Amino acid sequence: MSDGITVDGLTKRYGAVTAVDRLTFEVEPGVVTGFLGPNGAGKTTTLRMLLGLVTPTAGHALIGGRRYAELSEPRRAVGAVLEATGFHPGRRGRDHLRILARAAGIPFSRVEEVLEQVGLTDAADRRAGGYSLGMRQRLGLASALLGDPRVLVLDEPANGLDPAGMAELRELLLGLAAEGRTVLMSSHVLSEVAQTVDRVIIVAGGTLRYAGTLAELTNAKTETLEAAFLRLTSNPDTDPATGATTASTRG
Amino acid sequence: MNTLIRTELLKLRTIRSPWLLLAASPLLVVAGTSGLVISGNKALDATAQSQALAHVGLASLFTLVFGILAVAGEYRHQTITDTYLSTPARGPVIGAKLLVYAVFGALAGVLSSLVGLGVAAAWWAGKGASFTWADSAMWTTIGGGIAWNAAFAAIGVGVGALIRSLVGAIAVALAWVALVEGIVGQLIGDLARWLPFNAGQALGAAAEPMMTRDLLPRWGGGTVLVAYTLVFAILAVGTSMRRDVS
Repeated sequence: MSDGITVDGLTKRYGAVTAVDRLTFEVEPGVVTGFLGPNGAGKTTTLRMLLGLVTPTAGHALIGGRRYAELSEPRRAVGAVLEATGFHPGRRGRDHLRILARAAGIPFSRVEEVLEQVGLTDAADRRAGGYSLGMRQRLGLASALLGDPRVLVLDEPANGLDPAGMAELRELLLGLAAEGRTVLMSSHVLSEVAQTVDRVIIVAGGTLRYAGTLAELTNAKTETLEAAFLRLTSNPDTDPATGATTASTRG
Repeated sequence: MNTLIRTELLKLRTIRSPWLLLAASPLLVVAGTSGLVISGNKALDATAQSQALAHVGLASLFTLVFGILAVAGEYRHQTITDTYLSTPARGPVIGAKLLVYAVFGALAGVLSSLVGLGVAAAWWAGKGASFTWADSAMWTTIGGGIAWNAAFAAIGVGVGALIRSLVGAIAVALAWVALVEGIVGQLIGDLARWLPFNAGQALGAAAEPMMTRDLLPRWGGGTVLVAYTLVFAILAVGTSMRRDVS
């Protein structure tokens, strides 16, 4: 529990629009958990609330029992890559990581380690503006790994990776989970998710549709993840009351 | 705070655009001083000296944009997310930026003063006039100009934190100086003296200002500018702490 993620009654409203509606789930250490949902389901807003970037309207999201802002050394506790995270195009990849290291009090030698780990050492002296999408993903992953954190939160980390890169990512995430870390990743690449995750959280319309093991969701593989995902999310269920019911019965 | 300041310094050191911007300041002073001499309708006396060095203060337009880069630049390149992930306490992050950018604004003012003094002395010597190094009015103009540079860098940090769109913040800031203070300022008469760019002009003005408009006395301009700087700093910290980053 100490390393897990707890989301309880998490809600975000923008005016009349409810982006996230009374979301409740837990993410356990030791396994990779997939965070799935169609576009606009509220995934990114949920992750941003978890990381203290967006203030919830109600409810809370805790990491190891504490809000992100209360963590004494956030980069050493949580590594995160969010979709709208960028790099200054004129800054070298190594310098980007050094800035994060300096802010977190992490020695620069650790920067070289994570560059090596994500296979970016050769490109570290190039300006990030010249990086391919796959290289940007690797740089983002390197920044998440920098503090050797117990919790990893990754938004679409597989986006833009080639098949070899995807295989490397899968191996890396499974290895990190096997070390007892908490790994939460969002993805649209369901075939990739099916090969990587043990547990799944599915949201749609800001409400929870499923939280549990992948095996249970797919009825021990009698249904594909894609079929289950479509079944749970295609229903144009935007009524918060119904969503809450679904959440309590499924979660 | 020490860590945050060193982090901001590293951020600045690893990109080029802020330095190109600050390098424009001495160029402006060189061009302004040379223009003053070449136009040739002024005696190269002590008054002309302080008028030449009054260009140091005008370079605060560059330090204003430089300051805007601090926060709005981070939003532009989406590095703000990583910045706040490293340091969830946003107030100190903005505080460190205000401090670092104001210091670099002042340093840019010092650099353009040195370049301006060198160029002016060379022009004076070339024209056979004697350059009065001891002229106190010139040194007061230089000091005021450097302070104006620093204040506008900090105000720029505030403008960037409030508006967050880099292009929008720069457009608003320049439109403010050119249109609001220039044109609307004429409509409101005496009240225009209290606007930030006019206050800066009062602070960094020459002994006999080239602008005919009434300005506040130098100390008055300085006080008003300090007040604006504090207001923008408070607004920058206040809004940055509350706003969602998405």
